[in-house]
Amino acid sequence: MKRALYLLSVLLLASFVVAGCGKKDEKAADAAKAGIKIGSLGPLTGQYAADGNDIKNGVLAAIEVMNPEMGALGPVTLQAEDDACDPRQAVAAANKLINEKATAVIGAYCSSATIPASEPLIAAKIFMITPASTNEKVTERGMPYMFRTCGRDDDQSKAAVKFMTDQLKAKNVYIVDDKTTYSQGLADNVEKLAGGAGLKVLGHEHVNQGDKDYSAVLTKVKAAKPDVFYVSLQNSASAAPMLIQIARMGIKTHILAQDAVYHPQLMELAKKDAEGVFLTFGYTDKETPSYKKFAAAYKKYGEPGAYSAYSYDSTVAYLKAVKAAGSTDPEKVKAELMKLEFDGASKHIKYKENGDSGSNYVIQVVKDGKFTNYWNPETGELFK
Amino acid sequence: MEFFLQQLVNGITLGGVYALVALGYTMVYGIIQLINFAHGEIYAAGGYMGVILISWLFAQGFPPFVCLGAALVLAMGYCALLAMAVEKLAYQPLRQSSRLSVLLSALGMSIFLQNGLMLTQGVYDRAYPTEMVQGGFELGTVMISYMQCIIVGVTALLLVALNVLVYKTRIGKAMRATAQDKTMSALVGINSSRIISLTFAIGAGLAAAAGIMVGLYYGSVRYDMGFVPGIKAFSAAVLGGIGNITGAMLGGLLIGMIEVFAAGYISSEYKDVFAFIILIAVLYFMPTGIMGENVDDTRV
Repeated sequence: MKRALYLLSVLLLASFVVAGCGKKDEKAADAAKAGIKIGSLGPLTGQYAADGNDIKNGVLAAIEVMNPEMGALGPVTLQAEDDACDPRQAVAAANKLINEKATAVIGAYCSSATIPASEPLIAAKIFMITPASTNEKVTERGMPYMFRTCGRDDDQSKAAVKFMTDQLKAKNVYIVDDKTTYSQGLADNVEKLAGGAGLKVLGHEHVNQGDKDYSAVLTKVKAAKPDVFYVSLQNSASAAPMLIQIARMGIKTHILAQDAVYHPQLMELAKKDAEGVFLTFGYTDKETPSYKKFAAAYKKYGEPGAYSAYSYDSTVAYLKAVKAAGSTDPEKVKAELMKLEFDGASKHIKYKENGDSGSNYVIQVVKDGKFTNYWNPETGELFK
Repeated sequence: MEFFLQQLVNGITLGGVYALVALGYTMVYGIIQLINFAHGEIYAAGGYMGVILISWLFAQGFPPFVCLGAALVLAMGYCALLAMAVEKLAYQPLRQSSRLSVLLSALGMSIFLQNGLMLTQGVYDRAYPTEMVQGGFELGTVMISYMQCIIVGVTALLLVALNVLVYKTRIGKAMRATAQDKTMSALVGINSSRIISLTFAIGAGLAAAAGIMVGLYYGSVRYDMGFVPGIKAFSAAVLGGIGNITGAMLGGLLIGMIEVFAAGYISSEYKDVFAFIILIAVLYFMPTGIMGENVDDTRV
């Protein structure tokens, strides 16, 4: 009887590991080969895991596409590091990638991880190309090897405010952010711009990163009755409970979110409560040949997330530059990267002097469970 | 006033969940003076068991209340077994060693279970079928969702059941006796090993129920969901007087209320700070918590 109980106990606990052991370690197979080693940095665990894995998968897809073209320089391998979107862990992961002799790092996701991780990487003359960190400061610190494939938050906030005033004809707005470098930076920008655009800011509240209960803030929002509720959260997993609770509390207003919320996970978690939510996101034409090529390579990783295509493009850009330079020498690659111009999966890519590649924010809306282009701030017109 | 009432409703919902989890900490502490750090993970396991069961049952077309009821019972049972297994393997062999060894074992268990959940269930958020229970009603100007009603209802039911179990049954009497004096209760024929095991099981069952309701309320679960509520529920247990059942219920409700009111009237970014400030203040003036930890009658 006693032994049976022990056995049962062991079995119960074993249920926690057995299923996990089946997954093989992808890294082990790639290790020990020479060639070009690219690092990826992003949250592979924790609340932002979905976005970090998008970045990693984007790099993997790009490596697969580019590997046959690299010739004697290859093969290209990936070392994926987890920064958990934590500044300290990001620096530790960056140092690890330096030791592992990575020549370029694609990442990170959170601006608050990208900025500290870039210091040791750039000092070691390793390229850092972020596919996702939109905070302005990322490329404004005069770092020679820092590049950015996505847009910038100052441009994103302009698009957001323009949409609120020109299209929604809003008179006032209520702002909530979750206090990260990215989300608060963006929310502060919107607050500043709103004043100039004649948009009254009824309130600007902060919630904690990873919170799931927003009832207190939402009670305030409900009482304030804003024309627009601007939600700046670090990712879709934080935004989904917000949308569920907005619907549950019966708050009827326009909701405008931002790029970090763009992820199929949002609809999966919030379901019909995500319907009608607006968000600012970089414009991507999904009908171009380069996007289709990316989509085909990415297929095995599931549906592309917000930054899969940007991560793919960042990797392709670096590898193209390496190929043109004929070596991984940082100076030569940088010279080639500055000359580089090509049609990426996400957009037309041409890096500027400071490492930025320009923004092209449009307004999207969640319609029938899909992100759909809605309004173009350039022309002030609806998409057809 | 409207704002106050709305926050009161929100606070009761949140507080009820903390209370359910806090009971597990307090009961285990009461009986073997162990702070069971793995308790938060049991709560997370309950949330996952819930999402697996509810999604499956709901997809089979069972009515919401059947799904919820069946998932509650099964997940509570599973977590009870899981907690008993944890106790048997990680704590029982250390019964005679120092309290520090058991504490470290508990920390290790917590890490093991959390990583186990991550390995088996993945790092992504898992969605609950929130469409199962939707809508709500307005009482005056206060919005009360059906989900909140369910949470408060189930919590109240479980709390009453626990009280009956502890104060009105022979098992409860045996639990209270073991908590007071293990040697003495063993002398009069109580199998203290079994009672300790049972205490873990009951605490885990309550945590599993809390995990499911939180999952349904917020719409998703994640492998690391047990950590923060675990700490808050532990604080709630300490606030109420650790080892004291009534104290844990009161402490849970209080922490929930403080959090919601601090968020509503002061600032959401500092809501956790206020919960812990109150905790420190109470402990400064009442080191044994609000209800006191040594009320032998109410201690389990």
